[in-house]
Amino acid sequence: MHYANSYLEKPVVGDPNVAPRAETIKVLKCMLNTGSDIYQGACKKRGSTLKEEYKNASGTAYMDPRDMAKLGVENWDHVLVKTDYGEVVVNAARSRDAPHEGTIFICKGPWANTVVSHETYCCSDPTYKGIHATVEKTDREVLLMADLMRWVYKKYVDEEDDDVVESMESFGERPFYNGRKWEELEDHDI
Amino acid sequence: MTYEPPVTDYDYIVENCTCAFCGCNCDDLDFLVKNGHVVAVRHACRLGASKVMEDLDQRIMVPMVRNEEGVLTEVSWDEALDTAAKYIAESIRPVFYGWSETSTECMKEGLELGEYIGAVLDNQATICHGPSLQAMQNAGYPIQTLGEVKNRADVIVYSGSNAMNSHPRHLARWAAFPRGYFRQRGRFDRTVITMDPKFSDTAKCSDMWVGFEQNGDYGFYNAIRAVIKGKKLQSESVSGIPAEDIYEIVETMKNAEFGTLFFGLGLTHTLGKQRNIDIAIKMIQDLNAMSKWGLTPMRGHFNVNGFNIFMAFETGWAFGVDFCRGYGRYMLGETNTIDLLVREEPDCFLVIAADPGAHFPNGANQHLANIPVIQIDIHWGPSTELADVVLPGSFISVECGGTSYRMDGVPIWMKKAIDKPETCRDDEWIVREIKERVFKLREEPNVAPKYVPNPGLGLLEKGD
Ligand code: SF4
Repeated sequence: MHYANSYLEKPVVGDPNVAPRAETIKVLKCMLNTGSDIYQGACKKRGSTLKEEYKNASGTAYMDPRDMAKLGVENWDHVLVKTDYGEVVVNAARSRDAPHEGTIFICKGPWANTVVSHETYCCSDPTYKGIHATVEKTDREVLLMADLMRWVYKKYVDEEDDDVVESMESFGERPFYNGRKWEELEDHDI
Repeated sequence: MTYEPPVTDYDYIVENCTCAFCGCNCDDLDFLVKNGHVVAVRHACRLGASKVMEDLDQRIMVPMVRNEEGVLTEVSWDEALDTAAKYIAESIRPVFYGWSETSTECMKEGLELGEYIGAVLDNQATICHGPSLQAMQNAGYPIQTLGEVKNRADVIVYSGSNAMNSHPRHLARWAAFPRGYFRQRGRFDRTVITMDPKFSDTAKCSDMWVGFEQNGDYGFYNAIRAVIKGKKLQSESVSGIPAEDIYEIVETMKNAEFGTLFFGLGLTHTLGKQRNIDIAIKMIQDLNAMSKWGLTPMRGHFNVNGFNIFMAFETGWAFGVDFCRGYGRYMLGETNTIDLLVREEPDCFLVIAADPGAHFPNGANQHLANIPVIQIDIHWGPSTELADVVLPGSFISVECGGTSYRMDGVPIWMKKAIDKPETCRDDEWIVREIKERVFKLREEPNVAPKYVPNPGLGLLEKGD
């Protein structure tokens, strides 16, 4: 498999370093911000969007360690983020820019899109930042990009039930199509 | 990250290539080529290098069309182009979206097709700096080039922009660190202020961080303007920033010999939208009464500015130009892609060198699931999962030459360094082919009927 040599399975994040609490809350109310960061940008433009790498770079909610302690989540646990516009399961990780208690940051990408506001207020630009959200711990998996797109938009599946679509066979991390593959088209020895 | 030894195994070097990632358009890259592939890049940042050394697993290599089961299937170029042309020719409200990661030469073909067929042409500005463009129409555009910043600027302000993450070489090459003609000591001669609710990576290497509240930008800039004009603040803090800090910031800004404000999506994506930029531009105008200041939007894609400049030159509007009535029309909030999609208007969507699947909110993308989507791109991305026709383009600045415009509006020729895969085509060629096929399918261009003035007006003039 050919990876550009800066492949990184997960963004580097710090340790939360906040003592876990005896009592945790179930649902955390917070403000959601989205935007780009360097890991997400690198994966997106390299074109490794189907891979784990992009899932971890883009489908991760960066949280303040105190918020993580309140919810009782560790780095790379899964959380369900809900807003008025939708819901999505993402990883939780300690933010590199903490402290920002009460705010979570999800890099732009298909995961964030599911929960951001499409309201443009007649200014062409959707409201990607400053959206009220709730976060809770979950056992559900973070979907890979292709599976997430199928789950959200259901363009080429007949099934309407979210749970059924979510448990369909995964598309995996390689392009899924009928036809010649890259290996057959090009000398593949780099 | 682990240490990686330098790449020594290569055939030859191509010097002075341009990076096709962000609006800095770094034009000093060296590509190390082996067996017709770029194996290493010198001088680029992590983003630029990752794009040039692409992930070939996901390179779109062959034209594809969805079969009945909804699976993309390889077809010949002729068949794919005919299918795409048919979708466009049969539509009544097509939207051509993207263009920011392709050459200006390709946009020319797209505009001809759009005008002929009555399409909406829009680019990524609609989801990033659209409000900035509108604010420029409201308040003006006091810009300077990046070269001026490098040689002259002693106060740099980043507002709502995390340059270290989205334009990594911006500080190093233009704004903070380089030694310039009047700034011989580089970073030591400059003051860097970052205004961002987040303690971002850019804030971490600034001299001053102003962490105003979320959605507090508008109030904060108004406070600064009041202080510049010599007013006293009535409250102890504005948008979470203590009054004395605001006085201090204004003092620094007023005493600048040459100041520059770089602003990013932090201002355009919050609730104030273009009003935030309006007020930032007016702040720069106020500062110019006592010092020399300019501003530059931190454009994201390498040619997003190019599309705006090209369209403004050709049609009079920078983005979101609607030709469906047979003449050009532009109305913010009406002829822009997100608004059109949310209202479920388009019936055919052409995506070129863009990724709505990755960047549009769910509420807009839902409509892409109802209509045919044609994608011209180099990588398999989230949009491919929604595309009905996929056409493999080529990589501008690596496999194909082209013109792009830097964030400050300086045009840069990006040269070709290696050959493209045999099965791919240049974007310009693809759009031209589609255009010619559409011209054959729909013989009459979409032009408005001749304008007939209201006969009543003539009577009024005569005074009857
Ligand atoms: S700063 Fe931007 S243009 Fe320069 S190398 Fe990095 S991504 Fe490319």
